[in-house]
Amino acid sequence: MKFKGKSFIAIVLSPEPPFSDWLGEIDRIIARSPGFFIDRPIILDVRGSKIAIEDLEQLLEELGTRSVRVMGIDGVSGTRLKPGMPPSFSGGRLASDIDVPTPSTNSPGAETAETQAKAPKAARAEEKTDTKAPTAARKKSHTSAESDDKQAAPASIVSGSSIVITEPVRSGQSILHPDGDVTVIGSVSSGAEIIAGGSIHVYGALRGRALAGVAGKDCARIFCSKLDAELVSINGLYKVADDFDGTLRNAPAQIRFENETLVFEELN
Amino acid sequence: MSNATVVVVTSGKGGVGKTTTTAAIASALAKEGYQVCAIDFDVGLRNLDLIMGAERRVVFDLVNVVRGEASIKQALVRDKKLNNLYLLPASQTRDKDALTEEGVASVISELRMYFDYVICDSPAGIERGATLAMRHADEAIIVSNPEVSSVRDCDRIIGLLDAKTKIAEDGGRMPKHLMITRYDTERAKTGDMLATDDVVDILSVPLIGVVPESKDVLKASNVGLPITLSDENSPAAKAYMEATRRLLGENIPVTIPEEKKSLLGKFFKGRAA
Repeated sequence: MKFKGKSFIAIVLSPEPPFSDWLGEIDRIIARSPGFFIDRPIILDVRGSKIAIEDLEQLLEELGTRSVRVMGIDGVSGTRLKPGMPPSFSGGRLASDIDVPTPSTNSPGAETAETQAKAPKAARAEEKTDTKAPTAARKKSHTSAESDDKQAAPASIVSGSSIVITEPVRSGQSILHPDGDVTVIGSVSSGAEIIAGGSIHVYGALRGRALAGVAGKDCARIFCSKLDAELVSINGLYKVADDFDGTLRNAPAQIRFENETLVFEELN
Repeated sequence: MSNATVVVVTSGKGGVGKTTTTAAIASALAKEGYQVCAIDFDVGLRNLDLIMGAERRVVFDLVNVVRGEASIKQALVRDKKLNNLYLLPASQTRDKDALTEEGVASVISELRMYFDYVICDSPAGIERGATLAMRHADEAIIVSNPEVSSVRDCDRIIGLLDAKTKIAEDGGRMPKHLMITRYDTERAKTGDMLATDDVVDILSVPLIGVVPESKDVLKASNVGLPITLSDENSPAAKAYMEATRRLLGENIPVTIPEEKKSLLGKFFKGRAA
């Protein structure tokens, strides 16, 4: 038997009293984009709110009537939860915000995405919720959602849904492009990461992390002229350097998704 | 009035030889006849004055100047040997928060009027002090040891140079040079250290010099003289002199330090050629 790692991003909802107002906010989001909560992992974060268990029960019921299925609760110990409630979760890491499909929304609670405990940074990838927004503007907002000492992506050329980066991607930099392919003409340093909705092409050494197909594309691939990556992932399925096939080290390689596994092949 | 070239000497990691490099390059440039000022940005941990042998003549420092408590002319310390080499020391009693961005900007722009070269010795790390030191630079010398942790941190710093400097914000690219210090041929050969090619390959920045690990460097800093002044014939000093000529735009091949060949080896090599 084999255990597989697969990562998702969960939407984290932090209910704030008065709950009627908060539910009204959820209703507004649903009215604007009826499919927003459908089939998404959703976690209720009640950390620090000291919510009574009865109130929580009622809140879950209210969310249930809106077809918002909560898969776990963060901030309440499992022993306090009543039977039938979603399980207690903890240990998630904060990821960047998820766009709610209208620019004006700043609803508290509905905009923090949190990774599941088992997920690596793959989970930081954004979901595709707003394909109409201009690619460049989106990319900018994504990069700026990074850590405090964030750096802008190096000079990049935007064409259609793919971006071309003409400089080496340095340690500590993160290129986020959830809408399409990322091509890097140069190397990706160890400690850097490329996150793409589509495929990733590196015409140089891939020494950092490459996460392709984060918007749910199994068909995405990773290509590089020299494979020395720390982690590669396609559609959330990931492998770290220790699990790679050693024969492909420093060779030109492609990585694709097949039958729920990652297939490594030499390119020539 | 001349308009100086501001060079920042930086690295991610501490202890790689930034201060030694700053002192060596600054004094080598001064020996070439340029008006040179070296600034110590490592507020709280000043060292450059020690290596340049000026610690007993420091009256005012960078923080005093940034805060307007002293003029630049009062704070500049002239070198004992070269009268066209000056030092703007750091303060040891304050910390990096004492530096303000506007203050540093005005100090640098004033120094630009008096000097041909302003060499900034950056503190290690990616904190405020390092970003302030690199902010107004025109060129950067990235100092790395041939070991993975040092190289990784340099890579991070190069990313910052391309993102958080004035040049980068104006849409330009900062010219960068890679200086590999404390290079040990023996250990590179046995694989204990990275080879220079590997470092250059990882960082993809043009190499300006390779300085061999040498006791002369320690000896020089103990007597308070930059290596390029104290022992001009040591391999380390030669490497710094060469690097300086490259910084000035000369196109000379980089000498990678090699083991001293035995007499017999030399003999055979001579025959083969």
